[in-house]
Amino acid sequence: MLFVLILGALSLGDIQQFDTTLAVGRGQRLDVNAYGGEVTVRAWDQNSVRVEASTSGRERVEVTSTGAAVSVRTQGRHGPPSEIELRISVPAWMALSLDGVNASIRVDRVRAPITVETVEGEVDVTGGQGLVSLRSVQGSVKLRGAKGRITVNSVNEDVEVANSAGDVIAQTVNGNIALKVVDAPSVDANTVNGDISYSGPIRSGGRYAFSTHNGDISLTVAEGTSASVAVSTFSGEFESEFPVPIQGTRKGKGFNFTLGSGSAQVTLESFQGTIELVRPGSENDPARRDRHDDDDDD
Amino acid sequence: MNDQWTERLSEYVDDELTDSERIALEAHLQTCAHCTTIVGDLRRVIRRARMLREQAPAHDLWPGIARRIGATPAPTAKTVDLAARRRIRRWSFSLPQLAAAGIALMMVSGGAVWLAGVRAADPVVVSINNPPNATPAVIPATVRPSASQSYAAAVADLERVLAQGRGQLDPTTVRVIEQNLAAIDRAIADAQRALEADSANLYLNSHLAETMRRKLDLLRQAAALVPVS
Repeated sequence: MLFVLILGALSLGDIQQFDTTLAVGRGQRLDVNAYGGEVTVRAWDQNSVRVEASTSGRERVEVTSTGAAVSVRTQGRHGPPSEIELRISVPAWMALSLDGVNASIRVDRVRAPITVETVEGEVDVTGGQGLVSLRSVQGSVKLRGAKGRITVNSVNEDVEVANSAGDVIAQTVNGNIALKVVDAPSVDANTVNGDISYSGPIRSGGRYAFSTHNGDISLTVAEGTSASVAVSTFSGEFESEFPVPIQGTRKGKGFNFTLGSGSAQVTLESFQGTIELVRPGSENDPARRDRHDDDDDD
Repeated sequence: MNDQWTERLSEYVDDELTDSERIALEAHLQTCAHCTTIVGDLRRVIRRARMLREQAPAHDLWPGIARRIGATPAPTAKTVDLAARRRIRRWSFSLPQLAAAGIALMMVSGGAVWLAGVRAADPVVVSINNPPNATPAVIPATVRPSASQSYAAAVADLERVLAQGRGQLDPTTVRVIEQNLAAIDRAIADAQRALEADSANLYLNSHLAETMRRKLDLLRQAAALVPVS
């Protein structure tokens, strides 16, 4: 069954307010296509979707419901819509697929698969379970409290994953990658111009790959970690807060060493930056940050 | 990667599956990043297509791509009525299927280079501002292209798509993409210079291949932003 609602408007000066609520059933997902503005999706404790919008009056909001999905689409009366503020409340179980162009997108407390894509706007998500894929071209991407298979991708800004668990793929071109308190059996993080930092357990049997061309890598390694570590750099440096048993030197400035029984595979590659191993807690040490700032100034 | 659901993704996006099939496929999507990516790509293409008015492309890229992958014999000099061909295709395929075919073609076109893991040609300096030669880079179907040829051709094709779609993208987005492509080109050049002094260095070779792959990824991502005509 198909329902289509063109939401009614309540005029408040130049701003028009839209508000509607639809009952939903398990298995339905939410699709949002918003050209520009801000999209906020929050979980609430009702099996319904509430869509609130503030527009300038030159746009309209179309809500469509089928057995598979509730779709929210913003449209301009003449060409693409401009800025619209969308606030959507959904059940926590509802999977999300959110698409924008000049839109910033925020998600809070949803415990379901989440896909977010925008071109010019920030992505900020708390929650997510299963496949969580966040992508922005010109905006930063932040994810907290997710559990599942995580992909975060930007082009020109930083990406950050914090307090999350699951396989992680993190990429940007011109930005830093920060993986904070991440419990991941596998990590693939790479940037071209930017630093990479990882803090979290290095699991037995896990695979961790970090690569940057022009930036530093900081890897937190707890005592008792079991990992085979491969370090590669062309003109960069390697530092460690603790002694490492370097066993051999590869051609160029590359070498391997083993911690414990070496069950995890760790690859650290920086073409011209510093690769550093630190102990937990040390990554936030102000003295260490100052030392690095001095190095960067040099 | 391919699985039993790959062929059904277009129907899923069009809401043409039965409820039981949809539920099964959605369960599959929760564990399959590959299919989820394709579904995202299909939806993005459809959404952007809906926002556009119809516009004829400057020229058809298909013949060049088809020749490279050996999909059709090399065309003769006879002029083909592209509009008529498209009218026929429109009755044969849904938009999602065409989009999926385009994505697959881009993968085929650019996919060989990092598998070969060899040094490629000099990096192509990107300027979306100045469209490359409008004639597609053509490699005879009877000659197996080298990895560097495949890479250069894939880059050229994608740059051409970007150049033609430049006017439909936000100028700030174009500038950001150009800056980031330039950053990747500098990294490629760095790696190539380093390899000149140490051609057997495994890290440098893999770093160069990986950085070139990043360029293709970014070009694909940028090309996907160009609205579909």
